[in-house]
Amino acid sequence: MKEVFEIENKIEALSILAGKIENLAEKWELPVPLTMNLNLVLEEAVSNVIFYAFNDHQKHLIQISLALENKILTVEIVDDGIPFDPLSQKLPDITLPVEERPIGGLGILLILKIMDQVSYSRQNNQNRLTLVKNI
Amino acid sequence: MNITKEKIGEFLVLTLYGRVDTNNFNELEQAIGQVFEADEKKIVLNCSGLNYISSSGLRIFLTALKKVNAMHGTLHLCSMQPVIKEIFDISGFSTIFQIFDTQKEALE
Repeated sequence: MKEVFEIENKIEALSILAGKIENLAEKWELPVPLTMNLNLVLEEAVSNVIFYAFNDHQKHLIQISLALENKILTVEIVDDGIPFDPLSQKLPDITLPVEERPIGGLGILLILKIMDQVSYSRQNNQNRLTLVKNI
Repeated sequence: MNITKEKIGEFLVLTLYGRVDTNNFNELEQAIGQVFEADEKKIVLNCSGLNYISSSGLRIFLTALKKVNAMHGTLHLCSMQPVIKEIFDISGFSTIFQIFDTQKEALE
């Protein structure tokens, strides 16, 4: 099973994406907690792309594909923005006391903890983030 | 999202309903900002109706805790749905926040 969506590079499009994921989850009969986690990693990954991969103030389309095969869920996010590797971000140290706990970096931390495999590549002037979850 | 406010004893209780995400985190930020402006130092965030939170929302929680600690106040969280508790666990937030099962316990 495979579905492909395209959304615009604006924050409001995240709500549209969340709606599409809800519909897909119903169609594929995904459990509710998994659907929430899937929505979460997509919001984190796609909002990063919207915030950091474009600097030309132009409309771009971000392609999101989801595939489910043999209980393996694979999500790919492809954009034509400037090179942006979310995995190069420094992860927050979550053992620090409150006062020293950094505010940023939580998005990528959530993606890495929820998904089983995360990889990034730059090919043909495109960023490609691949997220895999065994369900 | 929806937020209701209620003063119970010394505590101001904010009950959160719905989602806190990249699109609407500023609503929670404003609501908590108003609590600080009103000089409330004992706060309970009842998360019973919260069914989705992303890093944008987690940042508001962390910022609020830093602020409460700086002014020697109290911030208690309670009544989290398991999916939300899991997000707090994997973000390392469960070790820095005081999280109670029920509002009654959070008010003690």
